[in-house]
Amino acid sequence: MKKSLLAIAVLAAALSFAAPITASAKDITLLNVSYDPTRELYQDFNAAFSKYWLAKTGDKVTVKASHGGSGKQARAIIDGLDADVATLALAYDVDQLHEKGKLIPKDWQKRLSHNSSPYTSTIVLLVRKGNPKGIKDWDDLVKPGISVITPNPKTSGGARWNYLAAWAFAQKKFGGDEAKTKEFVGKLLKNVPVLDTGARGSTTTFVERGIGDVLLAWENEAFLAQKELGVGKFEIIVPSLSILAEPPVTVVDKFAKKHGTEAVAKAYLDYLYTEEGQEIAAKNYYRPTLESVAKKYESQFPKVNLIKIDDAFGGWQKAQKTHFSDGGTFDQIYQK
Amino acid sequence: MQFQYSKFAVALLSAGILSSPAIANANDSNELEELRALVQELSQKVKIIERKDEINEEAAVAAKKESPVVKASANGFGLESADGKNSIKFSGLLQADYRSYQDGANDVRNRTNTRAGSLDANGFHDANDTALLRRIRPTIQGTLFGKYDFRFTPEFAGGSASAVDAYIDARLDPAFKIRAGKYKPFVGLERLQGGSDIKFVERSYVTNAILPNRDVGVSVYGDVFGDKLSYAVGVNNGVVDGGNATTGNEFDGSKEVTARLFATPFKDDANALSGLGFGIAGTYTNIDGERNLDFTNTSAADATRNGLPSYLTDGQQTFFRYGSASVADGKRSRITPQASYYYGPLGLITEYARVNQDVSLLTNTTSNAPSVIAANSSKTLSHDAWQVAVSYLLTGEDASFRGVKPKNNFDIDKGGWGAWELVARYSEINLDSDTFKNKNTGSFSTGTYANLSESAKSAKSWTAGVNWYLNQNAKVQLNYSHTSFDGGAGIGITAVNAAGTNIRDRQSENALLARFQVAF
Repeated sequence: MKKSLLAIAVLAAALSFAAPITASAKDITLLNVSYDPTRELYQDFNAAFSKYWLAKTGDKVTVKASHGGSGKQARAIIDGLDADVATLALAYDVDQLHEKGKLIPKDWQKRLSHNSSPYTSTIVLLVRKGNPKGIKDWDDLVKPGISVITPNPKTSGGARWNYLAAWAFAQKKFGGDEAKTKEFVGKLLKNVPVLDTGARGSTTTFVERGIGDVLLAWENEAFLAQKELGVGKFEIIVPSLSILAEPPVTVVDKFAKKHGTEAVAKAYLDYLYTEEGQEIAAKNYYRPTLESVAKKYESQFPKVNLIKIDDAFGGWQKAQKTHFSDGGTFDQIYQK
Repeated sequence: MQFQYSKFAVALLSAGILSSPAIANANDSNELEELRALVQELSQKVKIIERKDEINEEAAVAAKKESPVVKASANGFGLESADGKNSIKFSGLLQADYRSYQDGANDVRNRTNTRAGSLDANGFHDANDTALLRRIRPTIQGTLFGKYDFRFTPEFAGGSASAVDAYIDARLDPAFKIRAGKYKPFVGLERLQGGSDIKFVERSYVTNAILPNRDVGVSVYGDVFGDKLSYAVGVNNGVVDGGNATTGNEFDGSKEVTARLFATPFKDDANALSGLGFGIAGTYTNIDGERNLDFTNTSAADATRNGLPSYLTDGQQTFFRYGSASVADGKRSRITPQASYYYGPLGLITEYARVNQDVSLLTNTTSNAPSVIAANSSKTLSHDAWQVAVSYLLTGEDASFRGVKPKNNFDIDKGGWGAWELVARYSEINLDSDTFKNKNTGSFSTGTYANLSESAKSAKSWTAGVNWYLNQNAKVQLNYSHTSFDGGAGIGITAVNAAGTNIRDRQSENALLARFQVAF
């Protein structure tokens, strides 16, 4: 009898200690505001992170995602879309979160390795099966009668990478002659019949609506179109030169602090750099930065002669000002 | 749209193919190739047009989500941000009245008014028939950041402009809201009913005579227990009975505290009690009598300078004034139990109000001369009033605390007759008998707070009427009001004697009050 009482007392004591632990488990919601073609990547990654975080802390994390043109998404955050993390297409758009909104510190890019870009990508050419127009390189895109699909650089990060890749090619081809380079890119843009606001919109235009001969696409988006959206209907053409795209990520400090989610948001981004996170990126056709995973998926990604934004354009701030700000080269050469 | 483009393309192609001489030589492979290329080219062009339309539509939908919304309806006109968190609305209330008096006086006895001519043999001027604009109130109201409301309502009726409402609401939580500025203190039930929604042309004695109208201050209020209990507490400058505070500085430093509880315990039920609400409210302040002011201004329209009110009949004629030597001097408390009931077309409001007012007499009432409170002249006077009002909608609409939205608007062409409502009310006000007697001697003639042969001791009003709601914005009201008095008159224009034996009742007032109102 006494032993039973003792057992009940011990059990009760144990439960009373356990109860607060159970009670302290939290339901956390994170908002990841991302660019257009990352839907599939973050769908997989969010599920993996929630599982990881639940096992680690007992807290349930629900990650909501918002996707759109990178520039547009940055403006939405500045205008009050209270993202806990931003995973955008290029550093310039993330810089705006500091410059226009003071939402993050100026040195945000130094907070995570690889300049806060856990994965990279590049720009390739996606053509229809059999490559009926015989497109092999950037040169072919300026020929009369070639219909090129690319989104609007004013709203889309991917479009800016596309534009700069073409510019870099022309610059090399014409030995740095800016007039000829401009003319080349102008001809290319003249062949663009529809300007979508984001990369996913352009994919829809090319893949689902059947418009155009070639899609300038993120490599990951091209793989997705080839292997999942239209199996056997498309071919990837790797140009002789392209650009190394480094989509960066950051915690949006001001909003995360307001929500009390700073620690989870940081852990979320850190998890992108882990082997699990890198595997998910690679499976979604993003080039991993972790060497071990990069090696594992080496054969998946074609070898490309890649130039870097810093080397060819003096960094994103300069590139943005020269090419995409009001009155920049895009405005000068694009005729609606 | 896409379908139309496709059909157009097919038609174009068919026309091209059929009319082309090339069809005659269809076996010519070159021409077939050309035709194929042409079809592909046209197909691409059609697809591009369709896609551009699609993108434009997406852009339009996205733009709509961010564009401010312009609203124009019977409820007013306004602008609202796309997320609904910020808005501004313009609305208004215009009431054109006509008052016709079969019997009645325009003020208390022996109140000379040179513009009205000489007093009659009984010391009165007749109440004059008149047309007037009772309320001219444009309103700007809105919301900022989804929870901060503001309202500004000027009043242009009465020959001058003033701010009738000017306040800010912070809706921090349904159970915790803050209102600051000039507003209706949370006290009287009928007062809290909107000026455009009241069932009678004029409110009852409870509301118009005893309880505060508008005051300047701050209140905390909210709804708790599933919105079944409303509470409010406030600290305001304080106004006389029926008073409407100015927006300027207060003449004394004392504040008036208000509190109210109102319960609607059955509001979520679907039975005969669901429209029942009841509660209680009160006010309290403690002010010192004015010592050095000109007391000749004792109008009821504003906080009177002696801190005391005068009272009006149902027909809006003054029947009671304090004597010129009287001054508010001490505590003033009010209490008001109240209830409302709505069931189908039937509506009922009943209220009681009692005010306990400390008054004293002054030794000097000369303009701009220092005054002194007379020794042993202080007294607490208790006045009370009550009302029962019923309304019944004849045209099938449900009655409510708010306005009436007719089932069929008045429309001669389509045969609609709007909503019709019958209303009836009994209301009375009774003043403390000690108001008219010398505290120390019991005399009616000297040392009184008011003169019983000039001001009536009580007023009792029966009011019956009909409301015609042409639509939710336009209303016509017609009230007939009969008011009888106790005291308030004498024999001829002679002064009251000490024993009060020459006091008579003031002549009854019979008035027809009509209103045409537009509110949006």
